[in-house]
Amino acid sequence: MSVAVGAAGRAGAPWFWAIAGLRRALELGAFLALAAFILGPLLTLLVWAAAGTWLFPNLLPEFSLRWWYYVLGNENVVKAIRMSFLSAPVATLLSAVICIPAAYAFARLEFPGRRLLLLSFLSANAFPKIGLYVSIATLFYRLNLMDTFAGVVMIQLINTLLFMIWIPTGTFRGINRNLEDAARDVGAGPLRTFFNITLPIALPGLIVASLFAFLAAFDEAQGTLIVGTPNHMTMPVMMYTLVLSYPQPVGAVFSVLLSLPSLLFLLLAQRYLRAGYLAAGYSL
Amino acid sequence: MRRLTGPWRTLAAALVAGAVCLVGLNGGTPARAADTVTLNLYIGGDTNIFDLWKKALLPAFTKRYPRYKANMVELLHDNGSEGIYAKILAAKRAGRTVDVDLWETTPGFMEQGIGEGLWVKLSDRIVPNISKVPADTLAAADYYGLPYRGSSVVIGYNSQFVKNPPSTFDDLVAWIKANPGKFTYCDPNTCGSGTAFVTGAIYRYASAERFAGKAYDAKDEAAWQPGWKLLKDLQPAMYNNGFHPNGNVAVLQLLAQQNIWMASVWSDMGLDWYTRGQLPKAMRFIQITPPLMGDDSRVMLPAGSAHLEGALTLLNWLLTPEAQTMVIDVVAGYPGIDWKYMPESVRQKFKDVAKAFAPWPNPKYLADIKRLWHEQVVGGAQ
Amino acid sequence: MTDSRRQGALGLALVLPPLLVLIFLIIVPAVSAVIDTLHPPEGAGWTLTNYALILGNRVLRSDIRFSIVVTLAAVAVTFCLSYPLALYLRFTKGRLPSLLAVLFTIPLFVPVVIASFAMITFLVNHGMVSTVLYRMGIEWFPPLVYNATGIVLTEVWTTIPFAVLILGAGLQAIDDALIDGARDVGAGPLRTFVSIILPLNATPTMITLTLLFIGIFGSFTIPYLVGGNAPQMLGVTMTNYLTQYLRRLDAVTIAVIAFLIAAAVGALYVVSVSRRERHAL
Repeated sequence: MSVAVGAAGRAGAPWFWAIAGLRRALELGAFLALAAFILGPLLTLLVWAAAGTWLFPNLLPEFSLRWWYYVLGNENVVKAIRMSFLSAPVATLLSAVICIPAAYAFARLEFPGRRLLLLSFLSANAFPKIGLYVSIATLFYRLNLMDTFAGVVMIQLINTLLFMIWIPTGTFRGINRNLEDAARDVGAGPLRTFFNITLPIALPGLIVASLFAFLAAFDEAQGTLIVGTPNHMTMPVMMYTLVLSYPQPVGAVFSVLLSLPSLLFLLLAQRYLRAGYLAAGYSL
Repeated sequence: MRRLTGPWRTLAAALVAGAVCLVGLNGGTPARAADTVTLNLYIGGDTNIFDLWKKALLPAFTKRYPRYKANMVELLHDNGSEGIYAKILAAKRAGRTVDVDLWETTPGFMEQGIGEGLWVKLSDRIVPNISKVPADTLAAADYYGLPYRGSSVVIGYNSQFVKNPPSTFDDLVAWIKANPGKFTYCDPNTCGSGTAFVTGAIYRYASAERFAGKAYDAKDEAAWQPGWKLLKDLQPAMYNNGFHPNGNVAVLQLLAQQNIWMASVWSDMGLDWYTRGQLPKAMRFIQITPPLMGDDSRVMLPAGSAHLEGALTLLNWLLTPEAQTMVIDVVAGYPGIDWKYMPESVRQKFKDVAKAFAPWPNPKYLADIKRLWHEQVVGGAQ
Repeated sequence: MTDSRRQGALGLALVLPPLLVLIFLIIVPAVSAVIDTLHPPEGAGWTLTNYALILGNRVLRSDIRFSIVVTLAAVAVTFCLSYPLALYLRFTKGRLPSLLAVLFTIPLFVPVVIASFAMITFLVNHGMVSTVLYRMGIEWFPPLVYNATGIVLTEVWTTIPFAVLILGAGLQAIDDALIDGARDVGAGPLRTFVSIILPLNATPTMITLTLLFIGIFGSFTIPYLVGGNAPQMLGVTMTNYLTQYLRRLDAVTIAVIAFLIAAAVGALYVVSVSRRERHAL
């Protein structure tokens, strides 16, 4: 069986649609519906961000940029943005470094308690953290991690474990063992095999895992409030205030500000999210 | 495929190097100049209180005492307060100082903290101006915390649509039933004005004094049954068939959009929004008889505070007439110190509304009121 | 002999770093919290009274039921939207699929608080959609936010990218030759889907369903911002019990119950995957 690689792996003409015209109409209709559902809320927010006041039943608001000055003038907001964009990538990277080798072990090696341990990583996300605050805070005090960058990273790290273990494990499992065995047969050592054969094939899946891990770290709010205050506050905590308690345009402005870097990631990550790349990680 | 390894390795190396640099640069708290002390204030509440601190109180304080700088953490609707409480408690258990020098929050946390010995016991030896605060307010909290500002919950109504505003609680109930969908109060979990309305309904049939003291007996809560029935009966007449929004501001926005014509609101927030043109010009505020509750927050100093001297200085300054006048001017609140210490002009302005509010139930009862409201009024329990 | 023991030791060693993080930051605090709930409110000894109290409370039972139902609904809707989307992207070429491929990833990059806020401004009465309809003459508008519908819609919005990606990755692994082979022997699209695609894509499917359930079940932000007053999702209930009603023990007890439900779903996944591995070649 040949390995499915890149664009060549995609099927030819879609063969399971009967009538061509109906198909086009259905496709377009579905696309528009989905686009409306996904983009609608975001576009509404965009309009609110440019609004001075907006009352029902006006379709459009009175436009004004005064709320931008209000938000950008708030230095706490700027500090929180910076902290989030520094700590979340670091947490993701750290998570990748400690979890990817573990995922490989889960996928390829046999050791006692493997299944139980794999399942136990579910608990990182499944057990509600509310019940754990006092204990975690006490521990962090003892380790001098309160109100430190490292402390915030640790808390965010917890949220990433699930994604960084489970998805890479699935990815590694899907890689054809024959490839690795072939490399071993020609004399490559285990590390060389891993870095030159396994990792490149697994890369798309690992990148997807990193993406989810990053988002999980980024969105972390309750834990970072305890550990990061007062000098290392993150964006999610700030967001509650701005979204809930100020006139609508303020929340909208902040949302737009936050989403811009995210959309940048989106465009950069498109390469990896494309189906062909993910296909490179799997074979039969 | 092999071509991916090279650039990938370089990228990974760059990221690791970058991360190391960042951690090095950002680890630990920022250095402080030898002479200035930075105080960390945690303020729970709504945005008008945050503005009061940021725009009026703190600039004036740091001007008066240049030695101090202030760093403020905002806890909206007291969201995240359990985390701050956990932080202070954990520091005490680990035997360390904590970076919380002053905490403004709901009486519930003050109560819990007293039991764990978390707060500084205040006295006029360490906070001279405390003598200006009414003695029974201090005694109710055993001198572990105090309200530096007051406000009462009033009824705000749009006079364009409401020609004869209600003057008693019964009138209010009758008005609500006669005008379905034009009144609401916010979820008591998220705001004091909603809690005040709910407590008002309870106090229609039970006495306020019975629940305002320090004693707590869950069995007494049977007296609240008629109140729950009243609120449950009012549900269909509430805005949107019984929906209670999240927070004081959500209700004010409903009033502003004229989705509702009347609501229970904080006097300071209502007046603030009105003077800034964010409510219709026809908006008016009155206090009904018997009055709704007032005064919702407490200020405490953690005993393990890292900057105790600065915190005490700040608290002392908060109780000066100068600071208290800001409370009135900026957020239309009532002063925490006795009226007799305020300047004459201010006393004249507030002649009618001064002290016109009922006492809150103590924090344990308050917690139960919130829980039982969810169960009995919106939760469908019988 | 030695080789498998060495493999075992290596495996454990590699797994150790994240495991230590898990143990010290989650397991130890969680176990100590669970032990707290097994003591009665006053005094010592072991007892399940706390659980009896919680499960005996009618409103809390309805919160638990509500959480499960809303989660299942959200998982079902997401799954039913994502699988066809993943299939379409896998088997179709052209402009539309390329655009779609970018479109569905957008919610991934929007933080949950913002997504909730956006949904509200979009769907609330007198919000965007209702204003457009009003202008077209339609005055009635159903309540779509501040209730279970709002929670489901927002959860679906935020989790579609995740589901499509995982399912899509699994679909990519299915060789075209298999699909063509099935077509050659005369299988129709439905038959191919049921007999070839579904089984081969089983593991990613189970992963998706499991992670979707666990994530949505325990969520706080979306139900807090978009949900109604009652019944509530357990994430909000727990927070209220801890911070508003000042009942820490009750909050932790509810947390344990929520955890057990989530763990049961996780166990289902592990069991199903293990069975499949035993049947594999």
